[in-house]
Amino acid sequence: MGGTEVRVRLWLAVPALAVVTIFFVIPYLNLALISFYEPSHRAAYIREFTLANYRGTVLDRFTWQVVWHTVWIGAVTTAVTLVLGYPLSYKLSRASSRMKGLLMMLVISPLLVGVLIRTYGWMIILADTGLVNQLVQALHGPELPLMYNDLGVLIGLVHVYVPFMVLSLAGSLQAVDPDLERASRSLGAGAWRTFWRVTWPLSLPGVVSGVVLVFVLAESSYVIPSLLGGFTVLTVPILVIRTITELFNWPAGSAFALLFFAIILGLVWAFLEVMRRPLQRLQ
Amino acid sequence: MSAITLTSLTKRFGEVLAVEDLDLRIAEGELVALLGPSGCGKTTTLRMIAGFETPTEGSIRIAEREVAHLPPERRNCGMVFQNYALFPHLTVQENVAFGLEMRGLKRSEIRERTARILDKVGLKGLQDRRPRQLSGGQQQRTALARALVISPAVLLLDEPLANLDAKLREEMRFYIRELQREFHITTVYVTHDQAEAMVLADQIAVMMEGRLRQLGAAVDLYRRPASAEVADFVGVTNLLPGTVRDRNGSRLRLETAVGLLSAEGGERLRPGDAAWLSIRPEDLELGQADGGNQIRGTVRARAFLGNLADYRVELAGGQLVRVQTAPGARQREGDEVVLGFKPEAGWVVPR
Repeated sequence: MGGTEVRVRLWLAVPALAVVTIFFVIPYLNLALISFYEPSHRAAYIREFTLANYRGTVLDRFTWQVVWHTVWIGAVTTAVTLVLGYPLSYKLSRASSRMKGLLMMLVISPLLVGVLIRTYGWMIILADTGLVNQLVQALHGPELPLMYNDLGVLIGLVHVYVPFMVLSLAGSLQAVDPDLERASRSLGAGAWRTFWRVTWPLSLPGVVSGVVLVFVLAESSYVIPSLLGGFTVLTVPILVIRTITELFNWPAGSAFALLFFAIILGLVWAFLEVMRRPLQRLQ
Repeated sequence: MSAITLTSLTKRFGEVLAVEDLDLRIAEGELVALLGPSGCGKTTTLRMIAGFETPTEGSIRIAEREVAHLPPERRNCGMVFQNYALFPHLTVQENVAFGLEMRGLKRSEIRERTARILDKVGLKGLQDRRPRQLSGGQQQRTALARALVISPAVLLLDEPLANLDAKLREEMRFYIRELQREFHITTVYVTHDQAEAMVLADQIAVMMEGRLRQLGAAVDLYRRPASAEVADFVGVTNLLPGTVRDRNGSRLRLETAVGLLSAEGGERLRPGDAAWLSIRPEDLELGQADGGNQIRGTVRARAFLGNLADYRVELAGGQLVRVQTAPGARQREGDEVVLGFKPEAGWVVPR
C-alpha cells in the first residue's frame, strides 16, 4: 500500500521535474560544456576542450574587482532590506486579520508592475534633472548624484526586493506567540531586551530564508544595475552578458558565470553554516 | 504588604466596554479567583494588572504603589499564561533563569535559586530539556517555577489549567493551592471553571459583561448568590419565577406557577416584586416532603451518574427541574412524584 502511494506521489512530481530539467538543468549543463570549449571569432565556440577560459578568468584581477563589487552590492541590499523589512513585517504579523490582508496587498502590489517599468520610474525620480534634484535645486541645494552610481543601483534593488524579505520574515514572525513577548516583559525584560532575547532568535528561520533569497536575487539581477548604474556600475551579470554579446566570447562568459555561481553558492553555504547552531536551538 | 487594589478600573476597546468600574481589593497572601464566562472581562482585568493593557480609567495599586502606567517589566508580577508561553528556544533551566538574569543577579545565585525552585516543583533532572520535550503537566510546573523564582509581588494566573486533561487538572488545583499558601503570595487566578475557583480561591469575584457581580467565599456564592445569573453560573440550579407574597423575618413566601413556596433571601424585595426562586438540584427531595415546600411533577428522564442519580422532573407549569439524589431512588420515567425542599434550602433573588 505504502509503496504504491509513494509511487503515485512521485508521478505527480513528473511535470514539474520535466519543466525544471528542460528549462533549467539542460541549459546550465550546456553552459558548463561551453565553458570548456575554445572561443572563436567565426562561431560561438569551437568544440575543443580547454581550461584556458577558467585560467584567464581566475587570473584576471579585474574579475575579482567586479566579483567583490557585486557581492558588496548584494550584501548592502540584503542588509538594508532586512532593516527596512523587519519592522514592517513585525507590524504585519501583529495586525488584525483585516489589516493584515490590506498590508499584505500593499507589500505585494509593487510586484504587479514589471521590474523594467519600475526602474524607469526610479530613473524619472533620481535622474540629474529628476524629481528629487528639481526639488533640491528649487531649495537652492546642490545637484545630487543619485543615479548612474552605486547609490542608484542600491535604491532600485532595495525597492524591488523588500517585498521578498517582508514575506519571508512574516511567516516566522507570525509564528512567534505574542504571549512569549509578554512573558518576557513580565519577567523584567524591557521592550528592547525582549526583542533581542525572544523575538529575534525565534524569527531567525525567516531572517535566514529572507537573507538568502534577497542576496541571491540581488546578485543575479541585471536590469536594475544596468539601467540605474548606467554601465558605470559593473556587476558580474552585466560583465558576463557584455562578454558574450559584445566580445562574442561565449566560453569566457560561461566560465565567468559558472565561477560566480560557485562563489555565490559558497557564500550561501558559509552563511547557512554560521546560522546552523542558532537555528538548531529552535528545533 | 503586597495587596492589590483596583479602583474604578475601566477598559474600553473602541465601542466595547470590556471592564466597567471595577472595585476590588485583594489582601496580602490571598488568592482571589476572577470567575466568569468568556468575554466577561476577567482576562482583560488580569492583563491590566500585569501591564499588558492600559486601563481607560481607574487605578491599580500593588503594595500601595500606583502601577497603572508602569510597563510590565517594572511591576514585578509573576505571570502564568494559559498556553504557558515557555520560551521554545531555551531549556527549562534557561526559562526559569530568565527573570533572574533580567534582574542582573550573579551567576552563582541564579544557579542556586533556579535549582531550588526546580526541586520544589518536582522538575529536578529535567532542567536541560526543551519545553516541547515536556508533558503538559511538566510545562505547567516550569511556568509556575519561572513565575515564582523571581519572588514577585503578586502571582497572576490566566486559566493555567485549561490545557490539561481532567485528572491532572484536579491534581494541579490542589498543587497550586499548596504552592500559593507556602509562598504566601497574593494571587489573582482567572478561570471560567467554577469548580476550580471553589477549590482554589479564598474569595471568588464573579464577573459578567465587564462588571463585578458578586465577591465572596465559595459557600457564600453557592448558598447566597446575589442574582439569578450568579446562581446559575456557580454550580447548577433550578430557577422558578414567582412574585413575592409576604415576608416574615428572613423568610419570604413566593407565589409561583406551582403554588406558594417559602424560602430565604431576597432582602431588598417587597411584596408584589417579581423574583426568582433558586433551588439546587441536591436540595430537592424526591418523593417526600416533611415539613417544607411541596411541588408535584412527572419524571421525564433519569441518569445514573455513579455517586448520584440525576432526574429531570416536569412541573405542573411545564417547567423542567433537575433533581439529584442518592443513586438508589426507585422512581422511573413517567412516574408522578412529589418534590420537597426545606425553606432554608431555597434562595430568592430579584427578577
